[in-house]
Amino acid sequence: MHRKESHLSQYLCVISCLVAAISSSCSRPEPAAAREQVIRISQRNEPTDLDPAHGIVDEFFIIRALSEGLVTRSPGGGLRAAAAERWDISADGLTYTFHLRADARWSNNEPVTAADFVESYRRLLTPATAAPKATLFFGVKNARAFVAGELTDFNSVGFRAADEHTLVVTLDHPMPDFLAYAASGPWIPVNPRVVGRLGSAWTRPGNFVGNGPFILAEWQPHQRIVVRKNPLYAGAARVRLDEIDFLAFDNDDTEEKAYRAGQVDVTMTVPVTKLAVYERGRPADLHHAPLAETRYLTFNTGRLPLNDARVRRALALAVDRVKLVDRVVLGGREPAGRFLPATLRPRNDPDLSASEALKFDPAEGRRLLAEAGFPEGRGFRQLELTAWSPSQTPVLEAIQEMWKKELGIEVTIATREYGAHVAALRSGAYDIGFVTAIPDVADAADVLRNFTIDAPLNYPHWSDARYDALLAEAERTGDAAQRAGLLHEAEARLGELCPVAPLYFNARNWLMTPRIRGWQEDELWTRFYPSIYLQEN
Amino acid sequence: MLRFIARRLLETIPVLFVILTATFFMIRFVPGGPFTAEKAVTPEVMRNLERAYDLDKPLWQQYTRYLRNVLLHGDLGPSFKYPNRTVNEIIAGKLPVSLELGAEALVLALVLGLTLGVLAAVKNNTWIDYVCSSAAMTGICLPTFVLGPLLVLLFAIHLGWVNASGWDGPADRILPCLTLGCVYAAYIARLTRGGMLEVLSQDYIRTARAKGASEVRVIFKHALRGGLLPVVSFLGPAIAGILTGSFVIETIFQIPGLGREFVNSAFNRDYTLVLGTVILYATLIIGLNLLVDVVQVWLNPKLKFE
Repeated sequence: MHRKESHLSQYLCVISCLVAAISSSCSRPEPAAAREQVIRISQRNEPTDLDPAHGIVDEFFIIRALSEGLVTRSPGGGLRAAAAERWDISADGLTYTFHLRADARWSNNEPVTAADFVESYRRLLTPATAAPKATLFFGVKNARAFVAGELTDFNSVGFRAADEHTLVVTLDHPMPDFLAYAASGPWIPVNPRVVGRLGSAWTRPGNFVGNGPFILAEWQPHQRIVVRKNPLYAGAARVRLDEIDFLAFDNDDTEEKAYRAGQVDVTMTVPVTKLAVYERGRPADLHHAPLAETRYLTFNTGRLPLNDARVRRALALAVDRVKLVDRVVLGGREPAGRFLPATLRPRNDPDLSASEALKFDPAEGRRLLAEAGFPEGRGFRQLELTAWSPSQTPVLEAIQEMWKKELGIEVTIATREYGAHVAALRSGAYDIGFVTAIPDVADAADVLRNFTIDAPLNYPHWSDARYDALLAEAERTGDAAQRAGLLHEAEARLGELCPVAPLYFNARNWLMTPRIRGWQEDELWTRFYPSIYLQEN
Repeated sequence: MLRFIARRLLETIPVLFVILTATFFMIRFVPGGPFTAEKAVTPEVMRNLERAYDLDKPLWQQYTRYLRNVLLHGDLGPSFKYPNRTVNEIIAGKLPVSLELGAEALVLALVLGLTLGVLAAVKNNTWIDYVCSSAAMTGICLPTFVLGPLLVLLFAIHLGWVNASGWDGPADRILPCLTLGCVYAAYIARLTRGGMLEVLSQDYIRTARAKGASEVRVIFKHALRGGLLPVVSFLGPAIAGILTGSFVIETIFQIPGLGREFVNSAFNRDYTLVLGTVILYATLIIGLNLLVDVVQVWLNPKLKFE
């Protein structure tokens, strides 16, 4: 017995030594002390590249720390100066003259010049560059023809360096919202000499040259991207962080566990199942911000009986959006009674009329359905409702139940892999699909344009001459008020004829340690890094 | 033996060729392409993208060009998803991570599985056997996506000994290897126990005991060699499974390995990366199966290289 005990104590001794060795050998990142101002932000989706010409969405979270464009969005909405300190607009609204900051330098100490901007845009629009977001330049004179290869002389495209610090942009037609486009990610310049010398390798650490608040220090794919303060940045005095570590987290649960273990300071999201837990236990860590994203159902108008606007509107009216948001979607999303979220609408935009808005009105839905020849849903073909992620199934099931209860019709539900889902939407091989509209810029026309007849994202395959005419007229007019009126009318038509049924406006929930101060973002999910700093409680 | 290996290696060439060709055409016929994003890409931009990646050329031309680059230059092409990296670079960066994870998990699985299996067989129908067999059964029943988060909750969040995820220091290897290793250890333990029990009742073991060989010698010298045969035939596909099937582990622990790339490349329609990873894994599996065949003949004198 005595021997056994001594064995046991030996074992315990060995085990505790092992445990001590393991815990001491842990390379667990120490929480950054306030004096060294380092924050760790979760990054969903590995950036395809850090080249503004190849960025699509998630890439710009990092690119915006490394470089800045002519103007940038401002956290409260609106725009503010960035690489350009001011700008003039000609009386006809066709010419924008940007005056660049004279003290702006690239991180390799070269001056940032107007010619660098022109060369950046020439490179981005060159067909061989194949920039996926070249569309955001199509308002500039001849840019579209240059991208299409119909025009090879870049001198006839509307970019000109008047002198070292003056960039003149000539538009194809007046665009009251042009600056919103100039503030978008792809308008961020590159250093043409560095890109020319290094080719596609220019975005690697050690090579990267930008004009932003931080410099690229490390890039381990699918692991981490580290940026450090750029002392040559024109506004360096305002920047309070020394370093940002963008840590890759591709899974919600992994990310949340890493947050609890203290490995990351700011997450991308919160698993829906954890929302209530944080609300109760750590409300100071939970953050919420609305996004200008509309989640909607698209009806394939090429198929029976969805070719009938009465049927589409009946379906749209029978969805109780408030219940859907409060009981199923959760996370403070806002029910969408119209297509455009508030951020994309002009100020003082009037409400839609009763026949255009989409309030929950099952009685009207039943009446429309009966008028279309399906009283109480009799004789209605069984339709299929498709989405791309199993996480969306509860939303679809709620809608399925509402339609069954309110209209007496049956639909089936299918989840397709994302690429297959989008391919089906494009080719029209679907009945009703669940979609998200993510705007590139804060301009109503950017999303409304998608439902014109030739638009690549015209998933409903809808054609309405009046709608197309309204959009075309809005593109031509230089008068902001007139343009807002035309876009309002177009949105109203969308509500009345229902090629799509908006469900809710998306929002972002995330976790952030209370030590972080000055965090700002807007509805387009633009990040503003210079204002962020750490302060211990 | 050398002739056997040479013949098997020759057979590999047409197999790989068929796999490459089938994958090349199958991935092209999957709906959606590498540039089918949710956001608008106008026809002009789409044409430019397709031209930049040769997707505007006829399929057979793309195929012959790809084949030529792979065979003559060992060049697996540029990634469609990550334009500043080539497939060769991505594989070179991520394969070592998956190999390390796999190797460490395999060592753990073997040490744990063989120990439990041999103990259970030798102490058949005693409480030791019941404990070992129950542990193995639990391991088989617990999928990695349950075991992994459980280990994270205990060791990373409650005890705070290790990180919840990541792949930086040596301590970051512990939980992923434990998760991946335990499941395979469970299978190995059950196979070892079964194999050993069968061998231990054979006449040649009784003979060895009758000759006065010590129990340790009987087990390790005589019984284990035969008892391991089922384990060895399991190991071939298991190693391939550990290497290719680390997708779940790599996702749970945010490990920058090739397992995740293998799966995600298909979702991204990153044609070249899909082909690159498929060719690599096919080669690995063929190589491992050959190795297992060689080891089996070496362990079992009844088999021959034919």
